Amino acid sequence: MTLDPEHCVTCGDTAVAATVVQVDGLTATVDVDGSREVVALELVEPVTVGEVLLCHAGIALEKVPAA
Amino acid sequence: MKYVDEFRSGPLARKLVRELTGLVEPGRTLKIMEVCGGHTHTIYKHGIDDLVPPEIDFVHGPGCPVCVIPMGRVDDAVSLAERPEVIFTTFGDMLRVPGARGSLLEAKARGADVRMVYSPLDALEIARRNPDREVVFFAIGFETTAPATAITVLRARDEGIRNFSAFCNHVTIGPPLKAILDSPGLKLDGFIAPGHVSTVIGTRPYDFIAQDYGKPVVVTAFEPIDILHATIMLVRQMREGRCEVENQYTRVVRRDGNPRALAALEETMELRDTFEWRGLGFIERSALRLRAELAAWDAEERFELPGVRKSDPKACQCGEVLIGAIKPWECRVFGTACTPERPIGTCMVSSEGACAAYYNYGRLAERRDRVPA
Repeated sequence: MTLDPEHCVTCGDTAVAATVVQVDGLTATVDVDGSREVVALELVEPVTVGEVLLCHAGIALEKVPAA
Repeated sequence: MKYVDEFRSGPLARKLVRELTGLVEPGRTLKIMEVCGGHTHTIYKHGIDDLVPPEIDFVHGPGCPVCVIPMGRVDDAVSLAERPEVIFTTFGDMLRVPGARGSLLEAKARGADVRMVYSPLDALEIARRNPDREVVFFAIGFETTAPATAITVLRARDEGIRNFSAFCNHVTIGPPLKAILDSPGLKLDGFIAPGHVSTVIGTRPYDFIAQDYGKPVVVTAFEPIDILHATIMLVRQMREGRCEVENQYTRVVRRDGNPRALAALEETMELRDTFEWRGLGFIERSALRLRAELAAWDAEERFELPGVRKSDPKACQCGEVLIGAIKPWECRVFGTACTPERPIGTCMVSSEGACAAYYNYGRLAERRDRVPA
């Protein structure tokens, strides 16, 4: 998952903030600026729709608190 | 865009630059190493190097996971990819990294089944759909990326998927920083530490830099305002004679990191005795391998690998770039024989590599005249 095609997918800096739109067990569908991705939730569960997650390489690394 | 626009504000950047200019001691150069390739990218993409006072010298560190993979490991990957039963999966950035026997992209051109994925979980899905093939994932990256491999291996184990394995090349950020601090002749004044690695490991692993080496550290996020803010925090520490590990990225980094990510790493991986880093040589206890009880998902246990060490190309000075000893434009092949289209060294292959950042943002020689704040 990456927003910026100039960035390297491997590097952790492409971790992006994504909003949860659907939760299905240990998997969530998230919205990143209009595109949908699926991420694993093992490291951050439980999550609810509307929460923002920091995602990298197909997993959610951390919850991003509401600003 | 939320979490982006507010950290790219021009007026705020100029305000921070004025604050920074007031803090530095005129004529006294401060060498600040930004450890992560993502920070290097931000500095040059947003022209921060032109904004900050001339006393601030950003030195680029070893935190690009693509850049530090040695040629021998690329050759091992090519060897795996060329096995007829294997579907070899990799992040796209590794495809063009040259090994002694060419790159994975060239292996694909010769007929190897090499596929790009965005996540190891995508590789696991390929394994589910191809039960008659062996799917190998080229696992590289620092502690940010290693949890994704850990979660994937645990899912493979729990689901009994036996045709998936990881070729584990995950590395850890602390040991190369210690190696750099121990290298003679390289004087650094402070560190901008990686943000998302720290989301996983927390800020404690950097304590030795402040306590044992007397250098201040600021864990930092990746937008231009973050970098400027962190630079001010570092310079303020220096002025006040403090050496602490401070956290600029409080929105997602905690002192102890993410305990569940650390537990997943602990369950699946252990430190290798030693590992070769491109440009840095062998560093003890600096990389991870899968634990013996997960050998069924460990490509190094499942397949025979050449495991031959290859020297980097003689013309390439990536090693010196990776420890901040030279700037990319000082490399003898930078921008001539080595370009993003035809890279010789890894620092030019990865878009996070310092050489690629310099090349892509027109930094082909010494810094340009500074923009008035």
